[in-house]
Amino acid sequence: MAMGKNLSVQLLDVRKKIGTRVLFEKLNIVVNPGECLAITGPNGSGKSTLLKIIAGLGQPTTGAVQVWYNGKQLDLEERRACLGLISPEIILYTDLTGSENILFFTRLRGLRCSQDQIEEYCKTVGLAIYKDQLVHTYSTGMRQRLKFALMLAMQPVLWLLDEPSSNLDADGKMLVAQIISNGLAQKATVIIATNEPWEAEYADCKIELV
Amino acid sequence: MKLALGLWIMGVVYAVFYMVPPVEGLGDLVRIAFFHIPVAWVSVLAFLLSAGWSLQYLRTRDIRYDLKSSAAASLGLLFCLLATISGAVFAKLTWGAYWNWDPRQTTIFILLLIYGAYLVLRTSILDKEERAKISAVYALLSFLTVPFLVFIIPRFYFSLHPEPVINSAGKLEMDAIVLYVLLAAVGACTALFWQCFSYIVQNKQESA
Amino acid sequence: MPTAKSSLFNGIWAIFIKDGLCEFRTRYAVSALFMFALISLASISMSIGIVSLPVELTAALLWVILFFCAMAGLSRVFVQEQESGTIVALQIYGSGQAVLFGKLLFNVIVLLSLTLLVIPLFIIFLNVDIYRWPIFIVILIMGDIGIAAASTITAAMVAKSQGKNALFTVLTFPILLPQFLGSISATTKILANIEPNASEIVFMAGYNVVLMIASSILFDYLWYD
Repeated sequence: MAMGKNLSVQLLDVRKKIGTRVLFEKLNIVVNPGECLAITGPNGSGKSTLLKIIAGLGQPTTGAVQVWYNGKQLDLEERRACLGLISPEIILYTDLTGSENILFFTRLRGLRCSQDQIEEYCKTVGLAIYKDQLVHTYSTGMRQRLKFALMLAMQPVLWLLDEPSSNLDADGKMLVAQIISNGLAQKATVIIATNEPWEAEYADCKIELV
Repeated sequence: MKLALGLWIMGVVYAVFYMVPPVEGLGDLVRIAFFHIPVAWVSVLAFLLSAGWSLQYLRTRDIRYDLKSSAAASLGLLFCLLATISGAVFAKLTWGAYWNWDPRQTTIFILLLIYGAYLVLRTSILDKEERAKISAVYALLSFLTVPFLVFIIPRFYFSLHPEPVINSAGKLEMDAIVLYVLLAAVGACTALFWQCFSYIVQNKQESA
Repeated sequence: MPTAKSSLFNGIWAIFIKDGLCEFRTRYAVSALFMFALISLASISMSIGIVSLPVELTAALLWVILFFCAMAGLSRVFVQEQESGTIVALQIYGSGQAVLFGKLLFNVIVLLSLTLLVIPLFIIFLNVDIYRWPIFIVILIMGDIGIAAASTITAAMVAKSQGKNALFTVLTFPILLPQFLGSISATTKILANIEPNASEIVFMAGYNVVLMIASSILFDYLWYD
């Protein structure tokens, strides 16, 4: 996974209609490795919906999202196998500890992740002393940090971030900024849906939804 | 088209009452069969069609196949009910009980359960695409049980049901006139089903 | 990217361990199921007193009890994920086949341990004699796998619907019916001290295999939008 990060996302005339309301249409864009796309727009403009469509958790009404990895187009299963998602809709198991959550999801994806590595990731996001406590004792900010630890453990090539710094303190926001710029430096493809102007600053390209 | 169908059905009804001779042992009761057999045939046909369109939907994700599948299932439920009731009446008049878990009765009852489950499932999912997807999967899964039921049910229950139209020796035990009237009735019933089906699908497509 | 084949077994095992661990920590489903089984058996035994039932009825009772216990608890594997919202993470990070078979494995184990508890109670309360244990155990295992296989995929279907529990029973029963009738007829023979035909066992095993293959094909449609 770590080698040859060469993943690009292509939106082809993507249009989504929910009920009678057209959320967005005529979206055409290519995001290349090491590039960052920002999706901005007011609440209810369809940012999260678009991100879910890119993740393959929903279909566009018309048009298509294509994901290319080393010159090969990925099907939905392969696409999910190489993406990491941070979103308010991702909820981790509250009956498991932080490190058990990471261990479970990495195993599920067939990755090897040692206790040392888990400790390392938890330390990066500032959860080192809490990693063996049940997630239902965590605050919302700690849960958000755990999602980042999980994403780092997954080593995804495609990062989909929905409001990545929500519920985080100033320190946490800096951490997010750090993680994103590290990811971009390692040639990950990053797509951020956000309302925070500073998060959009990383963007090489933008989609503004209305 | 509708006029022709109406005339055809009237012709069949006339033939059933005035041209078919009473059968030895069953008397005039045999006339129920001319309603029962076509209706039962259509309820099975509708089930096959519904499963077929479900498969088409899963392959193409075209919502029109879902409309067809659900229309076929709703009509199938109606015909299945008619077949069950007419069968039960016939059973009461000839064997003395409305219901005795005869293999055919069991089979049609299971078909009724599957139709019921499919339609209840549809009403309980709000999202249109989610509903189409999940109900298509259910239609195909329930379709799979049919060959197994054909194997297991005869071992489980003893049958009083008359032999199928063509019995195991491959010989037709029927007067020619009875056979023709029966075929005409099956044709009429299938055409009626198709007419209602197209009407429902058209209505749904316009409202969608 | 990890290859799909090598990680499938890991994935199944991860799901199974995770579900087992969560269940062990809360003990919600399993304890409710055991109480459910105990109450249904005791209520039958109390109401009939010491009268011994005909074997057909006893065999049917056993499978009806197991079926309704399964209906009370097995939908939890997907309904719980849906209600707590964890299903999105599972969908993003888990392959469909791993999730399906991991959940199926968990349900089979739950149902088998339930059976392990029900059978002694059944023998005590209903005063049953069983002469052919090995074949009886095979039938119980086959029947349990069948119930688990049918209910795991229907659980995935009802998770996104309203009125989940009632619907779960309604959907599962027609699919399970061939297996259900087969189990009852084989158990009747056991209770009457007759050796069941090999074909009956083959039928049950065949049905399980077909059900699992079909679930495996159809589940991908549910899992990948």
